[in-house]
Amino acid sequence: MSVENKHAGFNCAEIALYIHIPFCEKKCRYCGFYSEPIELHNAESLVSALVAEMGRYQFGGNIRTAYIGGGSPSILPLELLLKLVGEVVSCCPDVEEFTIEVNPGQVDEGILQKLHDSGVNRLSIGGQSFNKSELEFLGRGHQAADIKRAVSAARKAGFGNISLDLIFAIPGSTLQSWEYSLGCAIDLGVGHISAYSLTYEEETPLAKLRERGKVAAVDEETDRAMYETAIEKLEQAGFAQYEISNFAKPGFQCRHNLFYWANKPYIGIGPAAASYWQGRRTTNVADSEKYIQLIQGGESTIAESEEPNEIEIACETAVLNLRRRSGIDLVEFKKQTGFDALELFADASANNERLGLIEQNEGRIFLTRKALPIADSVLCDFAGV
Amino acid sequence: MSTEYIRNFSIIAHIDHGKSTLADRIMELTGAVTSREAKAQLLDDMDIERERGITIKASAVTMKYSCEGKEYMFNLIDTPGHVDFHYEVSRALAACEGALLVVDATQGVQAQTVANAYLAAGTGAEMIGVINKVDLAAAQPEITAEEIEHVLGMKKEECLHISAKSGLGVQELLDAIVKRLPAPLDRGNEPTAALIFDSVSDDYRGVICYVRVFAGKLRVKQKIRFMSRGRAYIVTELGKLTPKMTPVDELGAGEVGYVIGNIRTLADVTIGDTITDDAAPAEKALPGYKAPMQMVFSDFYPGNNTDYDKLRTAFEKLAINDSSFSFIPQNSPALGFGFRCGFLGLLHMEIVQERLERENDIDVVQTAPTVSYEILMSDDTVKKIDSPSELPDLSKVKELREPFVRLEIITTTDSIGGIMKLAESRRCHLLKTDYLSQTRVIMEYKAPLAEIVYDFYDLLKGISHGYATMDYEFMDFEESDLVRIDILVNKIPVDALSLIVHRTKAESRGRRLIVKLRKTIPRHQFEIPLQVAIGGKIIARESIKPFRKDVTAKLYGGDVTRKMKVLKRQKEGKKRLKSVGQVQIPQEAFMSILEDSD
Repeated sequence: MSVENKHAGFNCAEIALYIHIPFCEKKCRYCGFYSEPIELHNAESLVSALVAEMGRYQFGGNIRTAYIGGGSPSILPLELLLKLVGEVVSCCPDVEEFTIEVNPGQVDEGILQKLHDSGVNRLSIGGQSFNKSELEFLGRGHQAADIKRAVSAARKAGFGNISLDLIFAIPGSTLQSWEYSLGCAIDLGVGHISAYSLTYEEETPLAKLRERGKVAAVDEETDRAMYETAIEKLEQAGFAQYEISNFAKPGFQCRHNLFYWANKPYIGIGPAAASYWQGRRTTNVADSEKYIQLIQGGESTIAESEEPNEIEIACETAVLNLRRRSGIDLVEFKKQTGFDALELFADASANNERLGLIEQNEGRIFLTRKALPIADSVLCDFAGV
Repeated sequence: MSTEYIRNFSIIAHIDHGKSTLADRIMELTGAVTSREAKAQLLDDMDIERERGITIKASAVTMKYSCEGKEYMFNLIDTPGHVDFHYEVSRALAACEGALLVVDATQGVQAQTVANAYLAAGTGAEMIGVINKVDLAAAQPEITAEEIEHVLGMKKEECLHISAKSGLGVQELLDAIVKRLPAPLDRGNEPTAALIFDSVSDDYRGVICYVRVFAGKLRVKQKIRFMSRGRAYIVTELGKLTPKMTPVDELGAGEVGYVIGNIRTLADVTIGDTITDDAAPAEKALPGYKAPMQMVFSDFYPGNNTDYDKLRTAFEKLAINDSSFSFIPQNSPALGFGFRCGFLGLLHMEIVQERLERENDIDVVQTAPTVSYEILMSDDTVKKIDSPSELPDLSKVKELREPFVRLEIITTTDSIGGIMKLAESRRCHLLKTDYLSQTRVIMEYKAPLAEIVYDFYDLLKGISHGYATMDYEFMDFEESDLVRIDILVNKIPVDALSLIVHRTKAESRGRRLIVKLRKTIPRHQFEIPLQVAIGGKIIARESIKPFRKDVTAKLYGGDVTRKMKVLKRQKEGKKRLKSVGQVQIPQEAFMSILEDSD
């Protein structure tokens, strides 16, 4: 399979690689991703299948960023994880950013050292909160102290590029408890923080509890205040918000995720992994056993596939671009989609500009600061023409 | 055929008392349809009619019946049963000499039993009381007969007991039609006068008029004239409905049938008009003709996703087969271009709405239905308006008059209290109360049409646990202390939300109104002030707070497809609303202003 991309006039020499590890120790209440308890499966077969799927592509030197996510990649036995990392490094000699997601309770300095030495150069730690009750509520298997330990171990292992995930608007949390978590995260000196409002994904135990009235979501006003506080405090601490939920000190932006928000192509490996490749958005089967079977049988692992037309691509690109604080770059947009964004989204831009939710400046269209908490109500105007 | 052997009759009844079933049975017994041919209730043409169990258009059937060795021609004219269509009923009755008044033995006399009976009496039709469904366990035929005698003055011994469903007693009914209903007068030698009691537009045959010939005759190729409009046509086809259209060369005095001529549109035909011979016309038109009176008006605007022309085409299509529905272009400063539509009543409006949605792929936003008002200007001219926004500057107005109707409610005695309270709250004035029996009563009110046209009927049903029935008839326009409530949304006056109400209710109504609006208009990205003004003065305020959080936390590769779908739906949702400036107002908001209850 050669590396080609349908986007006319767009430099597709750079693509991103995502690998999904569908295993966890136990499922967190709020998680909407595909994952299963590791004991139930043969991790070795899975990793071999992942490697086999990678082998179906000929990346050459085109992969710039690699990201192993999940699930919990750090639940894998170390030798399997290292095997996988090794495969990535050999398939993708020109990879520049290689991230692994880890859980604070599942790594120590030894493990992290080996990962670092194998070629991983960025770590994303699933901290979520520094408050005991909140961690318990979420069903995370670690304590606040574990987060500190993991960051410290990562540093000692040689990682300079560390990201921390945080969740706010957890039932039972307050503005103060959130500020506390933020403070702890900032104090750890990491280069990148993602701050997400707790989302009640369909069919998760958390969503069901809320439906049944057993759990009360944080009210809208507080949720908003928490978000505003995050932006404010993180900015004060030297982080620049570069996407709705993502904050980075200079030089620490996540290049892999920037591929998504630029609507550039990427390849997803593993069960339930998504790809945007050769003009198609596909998703692999969300079932480990089935995935392994299909790989072993030499068959396609694709469960869903869509081929957006030109206009749809333009809309998707606009929506994703607008997630970035830098917004839509008019020149890039034209090169990538063939459309003039100001023409295509004339009404949407004008209406939202009038309301002070969109701004146009220096060849870019972007969400204003005050639009951020209600971004979806603006983005929907760009979702179609 | 001598008119001696003709019987023209109608079946009149309250809804679901068995009128159509009886018509079926009569047609079967006379051989007009075989029991295999008979699709139940053959006379109801339109799907909607069948679904809602109501007849909208009157239709007619010619049958043969032998009684004591002689052959009779029966002309059965079907009638609409609903209060909105009084005029059509009266014209159908005027075409007959007799009427079968059918009453359900398990329900007794109801509002439309009474209303229709009065209409029949008004046209001089001879009535036969028919008590139906006597075979049901819950039937109380004797009590029903008593009610009929008490309310309508028809002797209870003379009422027939039947079951239209099984056919029990129907044979005797047919004999009674022969023996008790009068034959039409023989006026064959007089100048031609035929009453148009119904009309329909057929895709293939064009406009068809249903007629009863009173005097003279109609012939194929005859040049005829419609007396109210003065237009002349050539008869291209004449016939009877047996029930299929069966052409004949002539329709004589006393006979009922259909006429097809070079009539272009249904709008050219008015029910109740007289057809006469152009060469030898009758001196006077047949009595009782009235131009149809529209009582209820509503503005229709294309939804954000439909264009004006599409809406106009849809209305044109509807009007082809409904001459009492009208629409004229309308322009609202707040909502843009639309149409002001006129209806005979609320049911008529609902039927048109349903047909609009069903037969076309359009979204509409419709204003709450209003009634018309009469205004005596200071220069003594009288103006009629059918929308609150047309109310002129009050300094030029001497008198504001609203339409009043005579409202009849038949209900069980235990709900009298609740109904009286409801009626009082709606400015109805009790004229009289009459007991039909120990447990049922008929109450007659003088009521302002504006107060009962929207939800009164539903509330009535609620209070009486479904037992009450009502009927109303227009009385006149009378002076009332009325004011107009204006609503401003985001500081913009929205004329489509204006309401004319009685002064005593204006403030409370206005306040309730914006509270309702606050609940039905969705939150926006900005705060929306809602204000009520009477006579230019703001008397109350509410505010719709903006939504504070609407953002997806995570949007990575695998989320794109799903999220785009959600965002697109959010965008589509905006289209089903009507833009007024920056505010999107949903259909429910326009209707909610009419609800007078909480």
